[in-house]
Order: sequence, then structure tokens, then C-alpha cells
Amino acid sequence: MSHHNLPHHHPAPGHEPVDNKAIDASVRLPVIILFGNAIHWLVIACLLSLVVSIKLIAPGFLGGISFLNYGRLAPMARDLMLYGWASQAAIGAGVWLMARLCGRPLGGGDGQGMGGMLLRTLIISATVLWNLAVLLGTLAIFAGYSTGVEWLEYPNWASAMLLLSFLLIGIWAVLLFDRRSNPRAEVAQWYLVAAFCWFPWVYGTANLLLTWKPVQASAQGPIQSWYCGSLLALWLLPVALASAYALLPRLLGCHMNRRHLSTLGFWMLLLLGGWNGMDRLIGGPVPAWMTSAGVVAGVLFLIPIIMISINLLGMPRNEVIVSASLPGRFLLMGLYALVIVGVIGALASLPDVSGAVRFTAFTEAKTQLWILGAISLPLFGVLYESLPQLLGRDCWCPVLSGRHYILTLVGLGMLVVLMLLGGLFTGLALADPTVSFLNITSYSYPFHLMECVAQLLLLIAMLTLGANITFALAGDYLLNKHNGK
Amino acid sequence: MHRLPTLLSGIFLVFLTSWLGLVAYPALQLGRLTPVADADNGGSLPPTYGGQAIAGQRIYATEGCISCHSQQVRQTSITSSDVDRGWGARPSVARDYLRDSTAFLGSRRLGQDLTNVGVRRPDAKWHLIHLYHPSAVCEGSLMPCFSDLYLIRKIQGQRSNEALALTGDDAPQEGYEVVPTADAKNLVAYLLSLRHDYPLPEAPVKKIGAAK
Repeated sequence: MSHHNLPHHHPAPGHEPVDNKAIDASVRLPVIILFGNAIHWLVIACLLSLVVSIKLIAPGFLGGISFLNYGRLAPMARDLMLYGWASQAAIGAGVWLMARLCGRPLGGGDGQGMGGMLLRTLIISATVLWNLAVLLGTLAIFAGYSTGVEWLEYPNWASAMLLLSFLLIGIWAVLLFDRRSNPRAEVAQWYLVAAFCWFPWVYGTANLLLTWKPVQASAQGPIQSWYCGSLLALWLLPVALASAYALLPRLLGCHMNRRHLSTLGFWMLLLLGGWNGMDRLIGGPVPAWMTSAGVVAGVLFLIPIIMISINLLGMPRNEVIVSASLPGRFLLMGLYALVIVGVIGALASLPDVSGAVRFTAFTEAKTQLWILGAISLPLFGVLYESLPQLLGRDCWCPVLSGRHYILTLVGLGMLVVLMLLGGLFTGLALADPTVSFLNITSYSYPFHLMECVAQLLLLIAMLTLGANITFALAGDYLLNKHNGK
Repeated sequence: MHRLPTLLSGIFLVFLTSWLGLVAYPALQLGRLTPVADADNGGSLPPTYGGQAIAGQRIYATEGCISCHSQQVRQTSITSSDVDRGWGARPSVARDYLRDSTAFLGSRRLGQDLTNVGVRRPDAKWHLIHLYHPSAVCEGSLMPCFSDLYLIRKIQGQRSNEALALTGDDAPQEGYEVVPTADAKNLVAYLLSLRHDYPLPEAPVKKIGAAK
């Protein structure tokens, strides 16, 4: 069960005797397609988020056209962020890491046989299906066919397509674990197996009970909260953590600190992750014990985060190596974001704080930091680390990569701080019933204004990333063409 | 834990805890709540929605009203501000949502809570103007105009008695009138039916005040 008797040398990606080149070659195309599509959705999501935030300072902006209303654009942006970008990038990162950690090319052998080709075709077809579902689902919200269930706005057929697509890829990832070359699994592999099992369960259950065949609405609140919490903490976060566990020690050239805690952290995260979303219903129309569970889970969630931090942030690292490794810095920043998310989450689930700040930008700040920080930053790390290896050459433009890193951190930091302050401010004002609601709205104006600037920075950051990967892939295309002739 | 079946069973069991507590339990317990008899008029509580309101609920979903509006009055043990603001005379309980197809609980309040908007704003005309141009009745509101739910048409003979009484910049040009479509009327019917001012056994009620 534990790693006690393991020698310190641990087969991390890049260190196995198995030929990494063959593994990379076998997953190259699917992983590049997954990441490429994820990034274009990310850019569109950031553009929509900018429009949405402008609408809060100028409600008339792009007004009077029903499909450009806040109520349609906001869920479109959120869903693109969750399913177009984060989930798709997580699948890409998961496929690459799983193949590397298990030391097996796709389909066995050297990965270029019939099995490898079939599996590649399967994953690529599933990816096409996934993107089609995201595209059609987004257009459906745009055209007024949203289900109206938060984070599950896609119509039934689109969500069914997403689930089917995921199953096609996910089953392969779990089976690969069974055929791995190293008999002792790393904690990174556990996180991946868990994540790939959870998504279908979480997404399937939530859709079944909330949109496909909705249960009586009096029961929907807790299921909805469970879904939001689980999607982040049990699907996307485990992939982000798997990336950190698999890559960070190698990138930074040091050993994981207090390895035994990683096992405990894993199981604690599993146990609490599902309850973590209940802070969305503190004081809401649910049995009192659920409110208590939300408070307790919000605070206890700090424990696995602390354990993971001791493992990975507690490593004695060499700052020179850190500053030279962009993927390493992205992964570290992702972990710091997770720690902040944990602290904010614990604070926000205390009954008095929750009473004041729930429904304000404070909660939204936490969600943004979850998605763009704790989840997206590590995924960026995997992207920057994997693509040069997949393409077999140094493909990133260092200037663009550096800009992307800085702009992302500045934009995200600014957005989160503004939303936290704005939320706190609104929360305190809301507690005083003599202050009218419209008055409070006008107080929030400066915050909303600055949030637009932050969203603009994030958009520029993601455009930089988009340009960077376009050049990287176009360069590869030109190179191949040149070599072919 | 290095073998797949062992790992999978571990994952399954741990995951089952939150699933049982937050999915299975609500679906089996809260999902089977039943209406209670209304002692005053012999009907049942919560009251059923009319056909128009049911259609309006769909518009509420597709327009994404939930992005800005919540429908829940929180327990006073957590915060008294929801009740103090006049958003409801009593905290919401699970049974309140019995008649809804989707529970629009919401997570953000860029606009006001709508649990009792039908009590606070019982005037359909006000809602029709508000949806058409929120600033006309709420100066400084962040709410977008839902003018797509209306028709601007030439007055044929007599002015329709459904036409909005608009003044100033909102008024259409001479000889034209703004009339709500069926969608607008259904949405307003739904909003007016949002009244949770009745008592339930688990949630007794006090008198409701005007919105602040």
C-alpha cells in the first residue's frame, strides 16, 4: 500500500528504461489535437469573459440582442472554460502522463502497430466528438436552448456526446494502468486513475438527475453543489496534481519531501473532495446537517492541501533551476494557487463569513482561482513540458512563453484580489438592510471596471499562448515539409 | 494499492461516501417530499403553477436569469440579511421547490433575490416595462434589456391595450407601439407566481415587508 520500502530512485517520466521516444510518438497526434483544441476554446472563453465583464460596467454594451445577453454569454464562457479548455487539456495531459508513467506506448509493442493505430484513431475520433459537443452545446446556449442548470447548461444530446467521448478515452487510460511496466504505481498514477474514473461518474450522475431525467426540484440543490465541487476537486484537480507529482521532482531535480504523506493526502482528498462543493448551500434550503457538512468539509479540505504542499512545495529546491524551468514555475504557481484556494475556501465556509460573502464576487473569486489557478496553471506546465518532447525539438518561443507566464499571473492575481475585495465590500453592505440594493450596485462599479482590465490581461495572455503554440506547430509543419522534399 | 482492482475498489468506496450523502440521500428523501394541505383554502402547499408560469419557467432557464438572480432565502442562523432585506418572510426550505422543474437556487446575486418577487412586485405592468428596459423603472440597474421579448409594431387602428406605457427615450416613434410577445407574458406570469409567503410545517411564516 505504501512506498516505505521503495528506493529513493523512483521511475519518473524521462527516467524509465522504456524508450520514451516510442511512447511519445505513439500519443503525439492525439495529445497535440487535444491541447490545440483546448487552447482555442480557452481564448474564446477569455474573450467571452471580457465581454461579460464589460457588460457589468455598461449594461447596454452589445445590448438588445437576445443571444448576446449576460445570461447567455456568462454560462457560455464558464462552460467553455470547464469543458472546452480545462477538461480537454486535462484529458490531453492525462493521456501523455499515463502513457509515460506506465512506460507503455499506445497499443503495446513500439506503438506503431495495428493496435496503436486503432487506439490513436479511437482517441482522435473521441476528441472530435468532444469538440463537436462543446461547439454545439455552446451554440445551443447562444440560441436559447440552455437547460438553466449551472455548469450543466448544455442540452441533453450535447452532454450525452461529451460523456460518450470521455468514456472512449477514459477506459483506455484506466486499462493502460493495468498493463504498466513498473509494478509499483506512483501516486501520480493513482490520481490519474481516480480522475479518469470520476469524471464519467460525476458528470453522468449529475446529468442524469438534473437534466436528462430530473429528480424533484427539492432534491436538486445538493446534487448541483456536489457536482460543482466534485468536477473541480475530483476530476480536474487530481489531473493537475498528477502533473505536479509526476513532473515537479524531476524538473526541479529533487526528491519529494515526506513521501508517506502523499498516500494520506490522496485518500483525504478523495474523501473530502465530494463534500467540498457544499459551501455553495450553507444556510440554503437543505437539511441542517448538510450545511454543517459544508462548513466542516470546507475547513478540513485544508488538510490534504497541506499534505500535498509538504510533499511538493516543501522540497528543498534550487531557485536557479526553478527560474530556468517554465513548466516547473507553472506547476509551482498552480500549487500556490491551490493553497490560497484552500485558505479562501476554509474562510468562506465559516458560517459568519459565508453569511456575508456568499452570492457576492467573493465566491466567484474562489471559482476563478480554482479553474484558472489551481487547475489551469499546472496544465500549462504540462503543455510547456510535453510539446517539445512530443515534437522532438525545442518548439517554444521563449519571449512569448515568458509573456504568457507573467500576463497570466498578473491578470489572474488582479482578478482574484479585486473580486475578493469587491465581494467583501458588497457582503458588508448587504448585511445592512438600510443600504438599498441599487446603491450597492453602484459601489461595485470601480471593482467591475478594474475586473475588465484584469480580464483583458488574461485574454492577451491566452492570445500569446495561442500564438506561441501556433508558431510551434506551424514550425513543425514547415520543418516536416522541408525534410520531406 | 498497486493493483488496479484494489485501487479501483478503494477509489469507489471513498467516493461512495459523498455520493450517498449528497446524491442518493437527497434523491431518495428530499425527492420524495410531498405537498401539504393548505388549511386556509383547502388546496395544497406549495401552490401549483399555472400553464403560463410553467412556460415562463423555460424562458427563465434559457435566458440564464440564474446567472444574476438567486431563489433562496437563507436560514437566519447564518445571516439575517436575506429576511431583513424583505426577500422573504421566512427562510426557504426544500419543500418550497416541489413544483419547480429546475431548482433555480443560484450562486450569484448581481441582481436581487427572486424567491418572493411576486409578493414584492405584484404588478404585471411593472414587470413588463422592467424587462423591456430595466433602467426605466430602476435607475442604475445592471440588468440587460430583454427587448427581444417584445414586438415594436405599427398601430393598426386602435392602440393595443397590451402596449407598454413608455415615456421619454424608451417610447417608440409616433404611430408605433411596443407589445410583449407570449414569451414575455409567460416570463412575467412565472415571476408573479414566485410567492413563498405561505407557512409550511417546517417553516412557519411572519408577515412580509416591502423590498429594500
